[in-house]
Amino acid sequence: MVDLTLADPPRGPQLLERLRTRLSEIVPSLRLIAESVLGADSNIDFVGVEATGRVVLIFVGEEGDDLELIGRAVAQRAWVEPRIRDWIQLAPNLGMRPGAGTRAVLLCPSFRHETEVAAAALGDQAVSLLRYRCLQNGGNLEILIEPVAREIARSAAPTTPDHSSRPAFRTGLSHEDLGLTPEEHVEFE
Amino acid sequence: MRAERPAALPIIALPIGDQDVVHAAFAWNLVVEVARLGASATLLAPADSAAASLWPPSGRGPVGARLELVRAENLRELNRAALDVAVSRAAEARNGGVILARVPPAWVNGASDGRALLRWVLLFAATESKDLRETYSLAKRIVRVGPGSRIGITIHGARRIEEAERAFSRLADTAQRHLGHSIVSYGLLVDDLHIYRAIVAHRPIGLEHPQSRAARALRDVAKLLLDDAQDYRLG
Repeated sequence: MVDLTLADPPRGPQLLERLRTRLSEIVPSLRLIAESVLGADSNIDFVGVEATGRVVLIFVGEEGDDLELIGRAVAQRAWVEPRIRDWIQLAPNLGMRPGAGTRAVLLCPSFRHETEVAAAALGDQAVSLLRYRCLQNGGNLEILIEPVAREIARSAAPTTPDHSSRPAFRTGLSHEDLGLTPEEHVEFE
Repeated sequence: MRAERPAALPIIALPIGDQDVVHAAFAWNLVVEVARLGASATLLAPADSAAASLWPPSGRGPVGARLELVRAENLRELNRAALDVAVSRAAEARNGGVILARVPPAWVNGASDGRALLRWVLLFAATESKDLRETYSLAKRIVRVGPGSRIGITIHGARRIEEAERAFSRLADTAQRHLGHSIVSYGLLVDDLHIYRAIVAHRPIGLEHPQSRAARALRDVAKLLLDDAQDYRLG
């Protein structure tokens, strides 16, 4: 019935090329305006603008790059934010708005728990995590991109007290809402 | 299909979160597949601005599939609205049919009002542990509210049939062990790229790519639901 198979993702420019066409589908209202922008000592893979005028910085990593990527995202956001007004003067038609903010989107094949905790601590408005997978679909290599749902243990994110009430699941339910006994929890470890 | 028309079409409750576009897309595509099979197909959901992004425009859609957004603030009101729609659709359904009712998961709690809506529930579950845990938790809530509920599971996100079978078995075995409740399988949705593209494009898979694996899998699930619907009438 199913003959899709997981495949190794392409690397470097080929990966960016394939992701480019999917990004605007996955990130609502995103318009890419630049690629490989030299920021704070390294490149920002894509720069885009949302309909709200918020600048979106997109970083693409390979397996195991996720922790480094989130560090780069924090640094590059700090580098970009004071420059947005200059960019608007240089290119007023790009749709950027002063004060609309900046957020980072990280794409990796997988994210470690530490990275998820770090992203949660920074907040949804600062960093989003997207996981990509490559599938061989007949003769085509296709890329699936999925947002990473955040399931952060309360004890792992002590700096964000509102996490306990924030939905962590598709259903919008919280950990407390799940109401599982330890024995039931173990069934799905 | 039975020639005799029931007084009301069967209602299948679908607990789907406000931001869960994937499962909402499954639900809408399933309704379209039911309609493509010639049966009456309506998706009913609370008209909630927080969940507005889940749905295409309400009203009559492709191949006669309908989306009804109704005013409901709780399970009782949604149950009443679903019953109204189930009765009115039954009168015009020559080939049977079903009502799929999206239920906000938070409404599935200890309150007994409206529990009749949970008489037949379909849950979508991906194969990852976290998703299975969440789905099991929903099943547990449903059993608490309605111990006699028929709970069906449709697995998605599997790359192999064996993976889907293992995921279903984990859920079913755990439900049997801890809840004493039997869970029914409603097949497998192939995590085909067409599903993701359909979500993005808001176009039913069965119309855009009728021969795709995703469309065929959806049709299989729709057939299972319709088969059971013939034997599972409202009391």
